[in-house]
Amino acid sequence: MSGHEEGEPKELAEFRAEVKAWIAANKPAKPAFKLPLSFLEVESKEQFDYLREWQRKVYDAGYLGYDVPKEYGGQGVDRARFRVVGQELARSRAPFMVNLIALQWAGPTIMTYGTEEQKKAYLQGILSAEEIWCQGFSEPGSGSDLASLQTRAVKVDGGYRVTGHKVWTTLAHFAKYMILMARTDPAASKYSGISYFLFPMETEGVDIQPLVKLSGEGGFNQIVFDDAFMPESALLGEEGQGWNIAMTTLMFERGANEGVGRERAAGFVERINTLTEVAKRQKRGGKPVSEDPVFRDRIVRAWIEAQAMALAAARSEAPQLNADRPLALPLMNKLVMSEWAQHVAELGCEMLGPEGALWVGDDHAPDGGDWPRAFMNSFGMTIGGGTSEILRNIIGERVLGLPKSK
Amino acid sequence: MTDVTQIIPQAPYAFGFTEDHELARKEARRYLNEHVTREHVRAQYEDPRGFDKELYRQTLELGWLGLSVPEQYGGAGLDALHLLLLWEELGRALYPSPLFASALAVEALLRGRHEAQRGQYLPEILSGNVIATFAYAEPGGAWGSDQVSCRAEPKEGSWVLSGTKVNVPFAASAGLLIAPAIDHKGELGLFLLELPAAGIELTPEVSVDPTRRSARVELDRVKVPHGARIQGDGRAIFQRVCSLGYALLAAEMVGAAEATMLMTRDYANDRQQFGRAIGSFQAVKHPIVNAMVQIELARSLVLGAASAMSSTEAIDRPEIAEHATRMAKAFAEEALSFTVQRGVQLHGGFGFTWDCDVQLYFKRMLWTRATLGDSTEHRQALAKVLFG
Ligand SMILES: Cc1cc2nc3c(=O)[nH]c(=O)nc-3n(C[C@H](O)[C@H](O)[C@H](O)COP(=O)(O)OP(=O)(O)OC[C@H]3O[C@@H](n4cnc5c(N)ncnc54)[C@H](O)[C@@H]3O)c2cc1C
Repeated sequence: MSGHEEGEPKELAEFRAEVKAWIAANKPAKPAFKLPLSFLEVESKEQFDYLREWQRKVYDAGYLGYDVPKEYGGQGVDRARFRVVGQELARSRAPFMVNLIALQWAGPTIMTYGTEEQKKAYLQGILSAEEIWCQGFSEPGSGSDLASLQTRAVKVDGGYRVTGHKVWTTLAHFAKYMILMARTDPAASKYSGISYFLFPMETEGVDIQPLVKLSGEGGFNQIVFDDAFMPESALLGEEGQGWNIAMTTLMFERGANEGVGRERAAGFVERINTLTEVAKRQKRGGKPVSEDPVFRDRIVRAWIEAQAMALAAARSEAPQLNADRPLALPLMNKLVMSEWAQHVAELGCEMLGPEGALWVGDDHAPDGGDWPRAFMNSFGMTIGGGTSEILRNIIGERVLGLPKSK
Repeated sequence: MTDVTQIIPQAPYAFGFTEDHELARKEARRYLNEHVTREHVRAQYEDPRGFDKELYRQTLELGWLGLSVPEQYGGAGLDALHLLLLWEELGRALYPSPLFASALAVEALLRGRHEAQRGQYLPEILSGNVIATFAYAEPGGAWGSDQVSCRAEPKEGSWVLSGTKVNVPFAASAGLLIAPAIDHKGELGLFLLELPAAGIELTPEVSVDPTRRSARVELDRVKVPHGARIQGDGRAIFQRVCSLGYALLAAEMVGAAEATMLMTRDYANDRQQFGRAIGSFQAVKHPIVNAMVQIELARSLVLGAASAMSSTEAIDRPEIAEHATRMAKAFAEEALSFTVQRGVQLHGGFGFTWDCDVQLYFKRMLWTRATLGDSTEHRQALAKVLFG
């Protein structure tokens, strides 16, 4: 049942109970200001401080970093505990971890490719939220076709100088570092001329301009680099190895690493609880939505899908079960979850009836206008990190062996 | 507040999957690849019985019917995961046989309280000497434990049954029919009818899927001994039989969808148009990917159903297995329906022909959807769980 998992070793079940109790006791009170729905929409300083404080608290309590060895500030690698913490955080409706880009994809990339010094320099600050990270991959001319990127990093004495233009850079306005893809060898082929950097943001020649989302919220930016300097030590891996490293980052970003899908899925099952609450509370035609056969059907459909996603994520613990197609589940995680979240957010909006016309700021807007807000923001997940279309190409080609689309 | 996480348990650790499961699955796949080819399936379309008796006997020797039947009754006593992994393979191969019919009957006997009944019938059924079936449906779209109109009246130490059963799987081949009927007190009983018998008239139906034969069964004052009633709560047993049925059919549908998706994938790789393989067109590629994604989710729900069926909690709370198996059947049906439709479409003119094997799976989809509740019906039942 919720709270324990059948067959879970006793020691883990006890740990789960401890984490659960700690979260319940320490979860911060809802602030007076509006919180962002996800790490993509953190815009104000007060939002940021509140969220960073929470991550710091979880770290100090010893619950973050079960994917990082002790010598780099983690708890020592323990995938089972890592998963338990993720699940319990997701189920508790506690705030999210603000340094998510770093925790879930920049950090693991550094763990994989970083030198001893790099791991020592960055991993602890990531866990404690002392140092926030952003991701400088996309450019105005290079989105899905990432390898066409044009930002240049030119080798100079002691380091590199960067010139170019990045867009859609989430959290750049709070970030101390950026994982940066830049072209170091324009003469080389599209893929092999790219290098991967851990770029320090607080330097001259970096102009960060906030962009406004369709919901009116901020959270991402465009960045113009004008001959900005970074030291040699910023290079991750080898020069020209950037494309391969970036593919690793994207695997992490799409939740392909073990355990991540499972913790995200726990949050989705929780979301169904919210949906049923709303259905019982909201009225249409004088009757609760929960009595409307069409809406009942749609909610149950979402419930079954949430259950399926949770179970799919749990399958990662029995790799032999997936031996026919080992890459299928890792590569479909983000596709399925982001599209599901979009449907559920839309369903939430529709359940509101006339009140669905009310937006954030109206006193009578159900749930403070979060349903339409969540629906709009859900497109961040179906576009960011590789669009759903691109993911379908990847699955078709890499998992099913279909020929490349030209 | 209904907390959905309380309604069905979370997936247990690694689903309890072991080397043994892996070996059994491989062996079943190997056996089916060899013996249940598509030619074999097509041949059963023409067969008067609809299945190969000798092959059926062999598969029972492999223990396929008694897989999760306790050892004291001649079964292998394995968990539901073993069972559903096998049924996925059966669905892939479209194995034409009365396994489904007999599996329902076996479940009814097992859930009954009468030791002698089990001892009398189970070994015969598990060995294949007797094919058994379970009459879950009646005319007018009625099926399930709360829609039984058949009557059972006590008379001189016997029961006298009257009524009509439809869609009775493989009834024409069966030696034992389990018929639910309402008794004089308004209680639901499950009655063991040995076939043929006076007063029982069988009319073969024309099944949309010829690998799944069925018959309409008229019961006209059929007299059975008093001991021919399964002891225990008839309604509860019927419901458990249904839950098992949902799970078996869901697993089969996952296998069937997998086979169809792979067939379509292979065709998209081979078939050239405009100087390139059609699988390079996204309008072809993406639906195949969507099918695969649906199949993986459906398979996950089937694994979840297996866990729920074997979970210790489910012994006292059969609704745990019921919810999980309903979810699996509802979702797998939609996955299979999507996959066979895209399968026909993406094979083009060839897909529209009798020769293209996708049609075999298309028919299985229609039959399975119609059997033991379609996805809409299961979602309605689940909505009651959430909202009352
Ligand atoms: C909320 C949000 C946050 C983001 N945060 C970051 C960030 O922090 N760092 C960062 O680097 N980037 C970030 N991104 C950028 C994101 O990765 C890109 O938007 C994405 O990769 C798509 O690129 P594009 O916007 O240039 O769209 P395009 O690539 O121009 O795509 C436009 C449309 O065409 C489709 N399309 C393109 N190519 C194909 C093809 N081959 N086959 C089929 N369809 C195709 C796409 O699916 C899409 O629907 C963020 C995006 C969003 C929305």
